[in-house]
Amino acid sequence: MDARRAGLTDIVGAAGVVDKPEMRNTFSLEHHLAAPLSPCFAVRPKNVNEVQQIVRWANETGTPLIPVSSGAPHFRGDTIPSVPEAVIVDLSSMKRILKIDRRNRLVLIEPGVIYGPLQQALREEGLRLISPLLPRKNKSVLAGLLEREPVMSPRYQWNLLEPLRSLEIVWGNGDVFFSGSGTFRGEEQADWDEGRVPLQGPGPGQLDYYKLVSAAQGSMGIVTWASVKCEVLPHAHKLFFVPSDRLEALIDFTYKLLKLRFGDELFIVNRTYLSYILPSSPTEIDVQREALPAWTVVVGISGGHMLADERIEAREEDIRDIAQQFGLKMVPALGSIAGSTLSDIIQQPSAQPYWKLRYKGGSQEIFFLTTLDKTPAFIDIVQATAQQEQYPAQDIGVYLQLVHQGVGCHCEFILPFDPHNPDDVKKTQALFYEASHALFRQGAYFSRPYGIWADMVYNADPKTTHVTQQMKDIFDPNRVMNPGKLCF
Amino acid sequence: MSLPKDIYRTLEDIVGTENISDDPAILDSYRYSLAHTAIHLGPFYDTCTPRGAAVLMPGSTEEVQAIVKLCNKHKIKFKASSTFWSAQGYPSEDGAIQLDMRRMDRILDIDEKNMFAVIEPGVIGATLQAEAMKVGLNTHLPGSGCSCSILAGATSYFGSGPSNLYGGWHYDNLLGLEWVMPTGDILRTGSLGAGCGWFCGEGPGPSMKGVARGFLGAKGAMGVFTKCAVKLFAWPGPATLPTEGTIPAYRVKLPDNFKAYTVAFPSWKAWADAAYMIWDTGIGYLAHRQFNMFGRELKHAMVKILTDPTKTLSDLETLLEDPEVQRITEESMRDFQIILVGMTQRDIEWQDKAFDEILARTGGWKVEAMLEPEIHDWSMLYLIRLGHKNLNLVFGGSYDGCFGLLGAADFGAAHAEEASEFKKEWEKHGAVVQAGGDCMMGPIGGQGGGGTCLWENFTCFDPHDKESVEGTLALFDAATAMGIDRGWGVGMEKWNAVARGPDGKTTPKEERDRMHKDTPQPSMFRYQHKVREALNPNDLGDAYYETLED
Amino acid sequence: MALEDFAAQADRCSQCSYCKWIPFDQVKSWRFAKNCPSIAYHNFNSYSARGRYAVTRSLLHGDSAYTDTVRDIAYTCLTCGACDVSCKVCRYNLDPLEMVRELKFRLVEDGQCLDEHLAVIRSLRSDQNTMQQPSSARGAWAEGLDVPLLPADKAEVLFHAGCRFSFDRSLHKTVRAAVTLLRGAGVDIGIMGDWEMCCAGRVYAMGYRDEFERMARANIAAWTRAGVKTVVTSCADGYHAFKRLYPELGSQIEVLHTVEYIARLIEQGRLAFRSEVPMTVTYHDPCHLGRQGEPYVPWDGVEKKIKGQIITYEPPKPRYNGAWGIYDPPREILRSIPGVELVEMERIREYSWCCGAGGGVREAYPEYSSWVASERIEEAKATGAEAMVSACPWCERNFMDAIDAKGETMQVYDIVDLVQRAIAGEA
Ligand SMILES: Cc1cc2nc3c(=O)[nH]c(=O)nc-3n(C[C@H](O)[C@H](O)[C@H](O)COP(=O)(O)OP(=O)(O)OC[C@H]3O[C@@H](n4cnc5c(N)ncnc54)[C@H](O)[C@@H]3O)c2cc1C
Ligand code: SF4
Ligand code: SF4
Repeated sequence: MDARRAGLTDIVGAAGVVDKPEMRNTFSLEHHLAAPLSPCFAVRPKNVNEVQQIVRWANETGTPLIPVSSGAPHFRGDTIPSVPEAVIVDLSSMKRILKIDRRNRLVLIEPGVIYGPLQQALREEGLRLISPLLPRKNKSVLAGLLEREPVMSPRYQWNLLEPLRSLEIVWGNGDVFFSGSGTFRGEEQADWDEGRVPLQGPGPGQLDYYKLVSAAQGSMGIVTWASVKCEVLPHAHKLFFVPSDRLEALIDFTYKLLKLRFGDELFIVNRTYLSYILPSSPTEIDVQREALPAWTVVVGISGGHMLADERIEAREEDIRDIAQQFGLKMVPALGSIAGSTLSDIIQQPSAQPYWKLRYKGGSQEIFFLTTLDKTPAFIDIVQATAQQEQYPAQDIGVYLQLVHQGVGCHCEFILPFDPHNPDDVKKTQALFYEASHALFRQGAYFSRPYGIWADMVYNADPKTTHVTQQMKDIFDPNRVMNPGKLCF
Repeated sequence: MSLPKDIYRTLEDIVGTENISDDPAILDSYRYSLAHTAIHLGPFYDTCTPRGAAVLMPGSTEEVQAIVKLCNKHKIKFKASSTFWSAQGYPSEDGAIQLDMRRMDRILDIDEKNMFAVIEPGVIGATLQAEAMKVGLNTHLPGSGCSCSILAGATSYFGSGPSNLYGGWHYDNLLGLEWVMPTGDILRTGSLGAGCGWFCGEGPGPSMKGVARGFLGAKGAMGVFTKCAVKLFAWPGPATLPTEGTIPAYRVKLPDNFKAYTVAFPSWKAWADAAYMIWDTGIGYLAHRQFNMFGRELKHAMVKILTDPTKTLSDLETLLEDPEVQRITEESMRDFQIILVGMTQRDIEWQDKAFDEILARTGGWKVEAMLEPEIHDWSMLYLIRLGHKNLNLVFGGSYDGCFGLLGAADFGAAHAEEASEFKKEWEKHGAVVQAGGDCMMGPIGGQGGGGTCLWENFTCFDPHDKESVEGTLALFDAATAMGIDRGWGVGMEKWNAVARGPDGKTTPKEERDRMHKDTPQPSMFRYQHKVREALNPNDLGDAYYETLED
Repeated sequence: MALEDFAAQADRCSQCSYCKWIPFDQVKSWRFAKNCPSIAYHNFNSYSARGRYAVTRSLLHGDSAYTDTVRDIAYTCLTCGACDVSCKVCRYNLDPLEMVRELKFRLVEDGQCLDEHLAVIRSLRSDQNTMQQPSSARGAWAEGLDVPLLPADKAEVLFHAGCRFSFDRSLHKTVRAAVTLLRGAGVDIGIMGDWEMCCAGRVYAMGYRDEFERMARANIAAWTRAGVKTVVTSCADGYHAFKRLYPELGSQIEVLHTVEYIARLIEQGRLAFRSEVPMTVTYHDPCHLGRQGEPYVPWDGVEKKIKGQIITYEPPKPRYNGAWGIYDPPREILRSIPGVELVEMERIREYSWCCGAGGGVREAYPEYSSWVASERIEEAKATGAEAMVSACPWCERNFMDAIDAKGETMQVYDIVDLVQRAIAGEA
């Protein structure tokens, strides 16, 4: 132990090595399912050199490393060691915004950068980042992007990794690598002026490195900076609701908007989910959700660079017409909840406490990818399983976030539970387990396989598993990066 | 070099007698003339790619798998191609088996709601687009045009073109993928491998699609792609293109929500400003500097020829004397084409207004002559169907691009004029078409939503004429030297020179190693080497998959 | 020209494969996008114009030698010219159709012939027809028609029936009707009966250039002797031979296809339709009337480079790309027949799909020929038409045979059959 501490102290200094961090403080059910193992240290590197040295050291000493960029609480078990004697590489203090390039709409960020300060800095330059719905306040932007966390505006997602672009990666073997056009990292201002900028995500060459570190749960390497594509900060923005009693009634309408790429933010929530994301107390939630429509499409319209108001006006009228064609109504408010209120809420990270925990103190998620037309069937499965497991169905929040310009749909269920109530925990656990399997059998695609999902997906696809392991052997031959996760 | 009889017979059993041949004449129609647009190496006079040992036309994934397994057993190299328009689809060494994928040409599904198509290798852009349009959708087409395999562009090589801007380039659009790997095992990426359909190519976890293709593809050197899904996008136009006019001046009149403009700018800076504003504003369906491929000085005269069925290249000189043509040529020096498509009437009105505002802010203008109905409707059809891309080779039968400045709009704009001046000087030697130096073409928006451009300086020559071919090669060598000297990197004229040499065969290893070590990040080739070793242990591909040993 | 003269073209072929598809601007579906039957059926690149350029180069370089496969590559080309049209959407200095013809000429010169073709040639030599029938039976189709018999009788206009119409009994009615209605409209028309000779267009397309020239000169001489000013024919092959190939050998006679003449008569009000012909039809453009039906333009020039490396010709070379073929007259006729509803197939005019009968393919590769026809029949069926109408007996016969073989219900008419019905109220 001491030899390890000494080795790490040599690299990051004494202050950079933290004993017994709060890394175990997690609300995840999986934590209850998995045998909880504690890391032995957390180490806080300040730059890529230190990260590289840590990884080399880990290779020499055979120490498992778990990269973590976000603050607690951690949900999905990806940052809980699966093996003993692991060291957490805590990147949260690498939090510089290295560059904002308005012309090319790029921002270069380190892993510790979180949404609030980043959006603020971007706003000052007339930019914004399309972001996930209500990330935790201390959620690392880079980590969310690497996790392929869905974003609220599918129209800007040219591929599933957007808006992530070039990366600096320290592979598990200790090699520093620039993916995309990351070799143009713009150290000289002249490079930025001449357009030599890290704009590309793919490549370089014939491999797609950023895809190999995406959704890898830190098992391939550590990303030390990323360039991220930004959007123009809207001069004007409006948020509307298209409610319905039935999800099915909203689906074709949503497809139509997707096809036309109308709607900046575009997602569907059930009343429970909507009530959860509004900043309310548990009792308010109970009242509020009764007043909300069963299902709501949330549509944002913004006007950016040129003729913003005209754009908004044209879009608003078009979307209203389209809603009408589908026998729906687009409204600026749901009862007392104005679009602008929700807009203000979702343009920020979650207020504290984290919204997923507000209702009962704990929360379990189930999420996967599918296509929008298939979501009602999946919802039925979860509802039926809830009934079977005696979980209160009305507590299940459903969030349908279209991704990749509508080709796919992130289907998310939020299952709140009281972590101090063993019965609640047990029921939720059972629901989570049963529903996950039932969904999987019906074709839910667990593209980001955390926890028990990993075994499900990898067992079902031996070839993918094998090739993934072959890649692991190339980039992390000694398997020091977060061992025990995925199929490793 | 022919195959041993028993192996030939086994292959024959796999694909059927009518789908295999080792007749020398057939094999020679599967060789590529490198005195040509070889994409991007050479040109080399009187050189063809090596003769294959046999050509096979498999009809199913199972057949492909059986072939590949047999190749592994006997250590025979193989190379698959679908539409065979560039040298990278042809083997680099004697004795390889060539897979012509054209029989696998089905459109397996067009998922109208979720906006994607599932296709086999033989499906070309034109047929996919025609079928997609029937359900209000469209497909992105690589800049090589609608004659090319969509799967090839999506999986194996670049796949960038005019509709990147709105349609996303094929890199972005590739969804689920079925891959007969170099060992003969089958990998299905993303949701497909999980049995959940074609809609997603990524994951589970780290995305193995990233092994199948990167920024570029494996160029046929890493197994065979047998099916893939590609994302489509909205086509708010008629279900079939109402083409009219007399060949070759076909044209199409589309509803009012379609507008095709050629716009020009007072400076490269203004040109780039316009590009950035278009991207920031989020307008445009397709944007490309297309007709400039004929050359700054020839382009309008060429447009006149192409839009008049009674005219031929013999009319070029007369047209160039025409003061009106000269005026328009001057006016459209720094130009590009853009098509605005409104998803609704309000949308087109807004886009049109926003575009006018962009022109006002940048000092740009619409080239009026390109708005004459016959020319407008011709350019609309040309750009949407992209079915005239053999015009790249209209002058003498060959072209290749030099420089190929690829990056942010400011990058190319900063150097475009210098690269043009350089080429203009070389044009005086007579080996290549004299077109004004600036024959640069490329997308305004190298990826979905914009962001990058490409300046490929077209260089046209006569592949039958030794002096022309050799003069072109000299020009390209000089362009490469200049690019390196200026810090622009190796020009696109040499992008594939690392794979194939002047004899049409694999570039010697020492040479390749030298080139790879000279790059900003040689480790990318080392990783490719490791991936090659892991997935293609018998090394049955070729040097188009670029590797560097430790 | 010799095959060597195409060496430059073989090098300059841009390997784009446009010659395998209809002009892309016209593609309306996946199903009917192909244009070259030869590669559509055989699939190897070698069976396209692109591949044939490559094979030509290989032969010229001595890289490959004649084999059965090489013969197949050459002779499965229908010389339909679809490749030529598509190639010339972009190219002004390639002539793939001329090249594929030249390839056949070379094979024939080198004795690389097919037995099936040699049988035709023997028949041509002995009986001046391609049908292996006695020349004495040639005029039988006109029995009982009161029509001047040239050269004994005189007429301004010669109606040339052609081999297929003359010897295919079930088609006789069409040529009989053609002559009757032209005469009825006051045209001074005659026939040559047993003295008529093959146009030799078909043997030209098989690669027998010398035979063609021999027959062409004989025909030109016969016409001169008979003093005719105009030749009219209902056969697209004949039309093409007379209109496009004969002038090169000195013929200056006016050449018209029946459809041109009839359209002219309708326009002049000299033909009146009395009966309705209630029928939905689709029109098949014969290759030799449509894209290859453009008039001959004399040219004797050389290649000239401008602007360094742009290949042009001095004087400018005529461009045959199907732009000015005979497409509208047959359609005008059909539209003017009361009751006829014309619905178009996807591949029409210059980018029509071939019937499969040309280039010696019907004779030597019957199965493939029949497949080509059946592809067209599928396309016709997709329009909802009850009948396919054309203006060439070769197309019609090939369609009829394929329909019979497959037990299809599609009907096949020559356009004259419908005109006749509308005039006389009979089939
Ligand atoms: C004139 C011209 C212009 C071009 N312009 C552009 C352009 O603007 N943008 C652009 O992106 N590209 C361009 N290219 C290059 C281009 O990407 C390809 O040529 C084209 O898009 C693919 O068509 P192809 O006929 O060459 O494909 P193919 O010959 O089918 O193959 C292309 C590559 O993919 C491989 N491949 C094909 N099918 C399979 C398969 N089933 N499995 C495994 N490997 C396969 C081949 O081995 C080859 O390396 C151009 C090429 C030419 C000749
Ligand atoms: S003439 Fe017809 S059959 Fe021959 S190559 Fe051309 S298109 Fe094919
Ligand atoms: S013959 Fe014409 S169309 Fe065919 S490949 Fe050659 S250039 Fe292209």
